[in-house]
Amino acid sequence: MTFEIVTTPANTPASLLFQQCLVEIVPDNKIMNMAKEEVAGYFLDKVEPTTVSEDLWMKVLNKAQIKKQSRINTPTDPFLNQLPVSLQVHLADKKIKWKSFKDVKIATILPKDNNEKLELIHVMPGAKIPQHTHEGNESFLVLHGSYSDEYGSYKQGTVQVRSDDHHHTPIGHT
Amino acid sequence: MVKVKNPFVAALVNIAKSQDIESFKKIFDYFSPRLKSFLMRSGADEAIAEEIIQETMTIIWTKADYYDPKVASPSTWIYTIARNKKIDILRKSRKAILEDIETAVLPPIESKADENIEHDQKFDMVARYLDDLPADQLDLLKMNFFEEKSHGEISEITKIPLGTVKSRIRLALEKIRGKLEQDGTMADLNASNESSMIN
Repeated sequence: MTFEIVTTPANTPASLLFQQCLVEIVPDNKIMNMAKEEVAGYFLDKVEPTTVSEDLWMKVLNKAQIKKQSRINTPTDPFLNQLPVSLQVHLADKKIKWKSFKDVKIATILPKDNNEKLELIHVMPGAKIPQHTHEGNESFLVLHGSYSDEYGSYKQGTVQVRSDDHHHTPIGHT
Repeated sequence: MVKVKNPFVAALVNIAKSQDIESFKKIFDYFSPRLKSFLMRSGADEAIAEEIIQETMTIIWTKADYYDPKVASPSTWIYTIARNKKIDILRKSRKAILEDIETAVLPPIESKADENIEHDQKFDMVARYLDDLPADQLDLLKMNFFEEKSHGEISEITKIPLGTVKSRIRLALEKIRGKLEQDGTMADLNASNESSMIN
């Protein structure tokens, strides 16, 4: 018997980054994802080539040279090191703007667009978060550490979907 | 033991180490026309396809040092960069990549550790496995992972029942995973950067 879950919208920047983080922190997903990517790479190798514009090489060269000078080095922020590499790469050239609540900090990773958003939540050890609900359907992935609420506890790699009729009171673990 | 030397691995290393334009040109000449075919098949018009190629090539030039031959073959690394750029730029291809979630939670298979297998030989084994697949099975994989069609769409196009589409794709992926795991990739992966995931 097969059970499936489907989420929409998929293949948006937010869902892609979410997916990549999920793949990175669950090793078994990682190798399965590698297999899928290798299949795609194989077909890129086999596909019938399409002629590109004559000036494309010059355009690429110009663009690449400019970018070379403004090359970004990933800062060695110890906080960033705890995140999946995809997220680190994404955040490398950006300033993280935290909104602070009592024991919780929230940063916007991708701005709201077409009803999708991606936020990073930083929960302090032992933080007690007051009972709250959620905006529409929200998917949560634990990137590092763990927390629990009245329904259970969630460790690294756990995915939870919560909707606006879901009330809970999470507590951050040390 | 057969040693495979993928010329593009060396080209990427040369770009990373010495900003070698000649190696960059080799990569551009081989991959740009292929990326253009891929991008135009997945809905980009000519101008957008070439814009995405420019972005992709710029990333190859600036981030070649992120390329890890243990994690992906050059074609695969370049494909993932282009696909991510495509999603970034098009922002409209909304297909359920999570629909085949069950293939992501297969039980782990026993690793046949063999330290002597060259990394690019591992990817070559995947390529040879795919070369030997019957055309109708290969088509399913192509539609799913290269043309990014959902299992439902594939079933409609091929008139093959949905369950059969799923099980055939799953079986092939399991085989490929076995080949990828043959040289202890898991240990490498956990220690190395996820360099195939650059956006």
